[in-house]
Amino acid sequence: MSDPTPSGSSMPDNPRLAELRRKHGRPPQAPGAEPPQITPRDSQPRFRGLESGHRACQGCGEALAARLVMESAGPDVMVSNATGCLEVFTTTWPQSAWRVPWIHSLFENASAVASGMEAAMKAKGKNTKVLAFGGDGSTYDIGFQTLSGMLERQHNVLYVCYDNEAYMNTGVQRSSSTPHAAATTTSPAGKERMGKRHLKKDLLSIIAAHHIPYAAAASVAYPQDLQRKVRYAMGIEGPTFLVIHSPCPLGWKHDSCLTIEVARRAVECGLFPLVELERGAVTNVMPIRKPRPVRDYLELQGRFRHLFAEDPRAEEEQAHLQALADHNIATFGLTGDAEDPADTGGAALVHRGGPLASGGF
Amino acid sequence: MTTLTRGAWGYAGASLDFKTGNWRSTDKPVHLHAKAPCHAACPAGEDQQAWFALLQEGRAQDAWEALVAANPLPGVTGRVCPHPCESACNRATLDGALAIHNVERWLGDEAVAKGWAYPLEAPAGDAPVVAIVGAGPGGLSAAYHCLRLGLKAEIFEAAPQPGGLLRSAIPPTRLPRAALDAELERLLALPGLTLTLRARLGRDVSLDELSSRYAAVLLAPGCQEGKEWDVAGAVPTDHREGLALLREFMDHGSFPEAQRVIVHGGGNTAMDLCRLMKRAGSEHVTLVTASGLPGPNTAPGDLINVVPRELEEALEEGVEIIDHATVGRLIMKGSKVTGVEVVSLRKLPGGDGRTHRVAFEGTERILPADMVIPCIGERVDPEGLEGLLERGYLRPADSWGSLSRPNVYAIGDASGQSGTVAAAIGDGRRAAEALALRLAGEVPVSDARPVLEAPQLNPRYYGGGARPHVPKLPAAARDFDSEIEGDIGRTAALAEAQRCLSCGNCLACDNCWTFCPDNAVIKTQELASDGSHYLFDLDYCKGCGLCAQECPTGYIQMVPEEG
Repeated sequence: MSDPTPSGSSMPDNPRLAELRRKHGRPPQAPGAEPPQITPRDSQPRFRGLESGHRACQGCGEALAARLVMESAGPDVMVSNATGCLEVFTTTWPQSAWRVPWIHSLFENASAVASGMEAAMKAKGKNTKVLAFGGDGSTYDIGFQTLSGMLERQHNVLYVCYDNEAYMNTGVQRSSSTPHAAATTTSPAGKERMGKRHLKKDLLSIIAAHHIPYAAAASVAYPQDLQRKVRYAMGIEGPTFLVIHSPCPLGWKHDSCLTIEVARRAVECGLFPLVELERGAVTNVMPIRKPRPVRDYLELQGRFRHLFAEDPRAEEEQAHLQALADHNIATFGLTGDAEDPADTGGAALVHRGGPLASGGF
Repeated sequence: MTTLTRGAWGYAGASLDFKTGNWRSTDKPVHLHAKAPCHAACPAGEDQQAWFALLQEGRAQDAWEALVAANPLPGVTGRVCPHPCESACNRATLDGALAIHNVERWLGDEAVAKGWAYPLEAPAGDAPVVAIVGAGPGGLSAAYHCLRLGLKAEIFEAAPQPGGLLRSAIPPTRLPRAALDAELERLLALPGLTLTLRARLGRDVSLDELSSRYAAVLLAPGCQEGKEWDVAGAVPTDHREGLALLREFMDHGSFPEAQRVIVHGGGNTAMDLCRLMKRAGSEHVTLVTASGLPGPNTAPGDLINVVPRELEEALEEGVEIIDHATVGRLIMKGSKVTGVEVVSLRKLPGGDGRTHRVAFEGTERILPADMVIPCIGERVDPEGLEGLLERGYLRPADSWGSLSRPNVYAIGDASGQSGTVAAAIGDGRRAAEALALRLAGEVPVSDARPVLEAPQLNPRYYGGGARPHVPKLPAAARDFDSEIEGDIGRTAALAEAQRCLSCGNCLACDNCWTFCPDNAVIKTQELASDGSHYLFDLDYCKGCGLCAQECPTGYIQMVPEEG
């Protein structure tokens, strides 16, 4: 037993850590001390669950998605985070970009840890919602088993998968979420193959097959829609699941300013349908106002550059991806009957004074 | 309490101590309030984007006040201006330019109907007085802007009524006299403004006298004298110049009898004359113009310089137009015209870098005619302006209208530039601003901001919507008094405001604030110093460029880092 120290220097056995904490840590304000000056950053009209200073790359779609989720989920939440980019770039010791209780354990067990956190909250009689975050690597592949278990046991947890379609943290290796024909370091395009041989795993259907109350797909290109889905899931008692399409400028090889445009085209061409499933049934989709050819989506990204080569296989793979998109459009009925304020065209409209202002057409 | 040995933590939000702003390698985002193309194109200097923004919020009176900060006569220009703003509108690349002139006209009429007061204070009793020669659009605008800037103005007008060519040359079908009088009366009733009618420069007042008695003199006499005209030395005995004929018609209501009329020229006077003569009963009215008609192959500089809808209406009414042509010869019987020889021509660049008119041999054709009317422009009446004129005009040295004589400025048609009502209004404003600054010992500077071009917009964020329907009198019902183009009304005007793309200015749409992955855009409650509601926290901005890419209006641009 050691003496409890109020200033947080809980590791007197490690002078190096104590030194780092003195240098970079931000000790909590002592009672009665001069209140700190309120800066414009402090008075933002939204919850800053994920703060600046994190080490994500320029134009990171995942950092944006996590920030948007935290805004509408927080502040009474706790996060269990799997290994991955999000974990690495937000928590460079001894700093943390998170402003909520946050824990990282292993690659494969974010859902198991979240299950335990939820059980602990229940035992203590608290209503704090538990969130579990993972990338596509930890969700589609490595942590899939614990995720399935958590859903099956009906834990009251919102699991958010930030889907950037490969293992980006370790240098762009293919995952089961990597789309067909995309080039990664472990599915290179060349003489043998045009990028990844296999298809993107239809994870949402597998999740929905657990018969959970709510599972949905969202995209960073439609932040209002994304945040509506988070708020809806937060209001549900029971397991809920959200997969967010989060472009990665480094791994997808597109300009850092094009993150939103790339994500938008993925939705508009039908390759990433924004659907909502409740108890296994499709209950809502975002209709596509004017479907774009898959080519428009592919041409922005270096990981599909080989599909624009003078090669009959390139043409075939482009046609294959177009067929997959058309299949999604047909399966989910993504073409609307008429212009809809909630379709891909209407959801993007802006008005003077922001999304909450009235006006427009 | 146990010592933690396997885990460790960082304090919430402590990453703020790590300034990722030093990752920016090339560009940083800035707010850049570029000129909307409508504003850049407006000869009167209106900022249409600014007043449309107020109208988007439903603030019609504030919108009118922002409009009259540049142009005190929106009810007039909304009716007579060839609206270069609409030709420049970036929405033309999406689904059609905004109907700016219709909304301007509605605002002007609304101000008259509701009695909105011009947003200016009476000048101080001892304020300097500026003398203004001419009560046309340029002189009136100059007087109004003098009042806005705290000066008094005294206008000397030769005619018995104010208005200049608005009254003498523009037909009531385009500008009903009730609309003109309503706006002029309100303007002339402003405190600090004196109008002396029937006071002619050279006869009743002299420039020397004005120069010595007033702080400055603004010359806006307009162009009153027809240019001399002949075709290869031939002039018919009954020769009449176009503007004089038009003025006479305004006063007396009749034209000389003629069944086959050839009008030679390419401006609004020519167009008005053609339409009125056609309506007055001439069977064939043909306009011969050296310029081109609107079309895909017509260069902007070659386009006929008339209000586009006037051209459309003239064709509806049966006026014939021969473009890219000139009158090469008059066919005379004695000294009476019986026909003209028309020859095709083009304005082509010559070896000396100037444009030349080249007539093409072999394209000559003879048209029968009872009357040939030149509408080739007018020049300044030299009376009282001896020594100031240069090749027929006052020709100021700079865009402020400064003449060689100290504290004397030239405004409007008399300055020899391509004259429109809006240009005269703009001249009046610039001259008043320059002289007010110079009286205060300062130097006027022009607005050097860049213009926001269509490719800098992100059209993804705008909804669709067509131009409003504008009521128009059918060709058969048009007479000499009834206004042809109608009012679009409040609902359509407010709906049209929603179509404005706000080129180059902040919409406060929150896109940058929402999309920044690094939380480096800070929203402010009050307007920041640059007029937006957002700040860039360059301590954390990594320079990815997302905000600039997703800014609908082009207000955010990436610029190289200094140093």
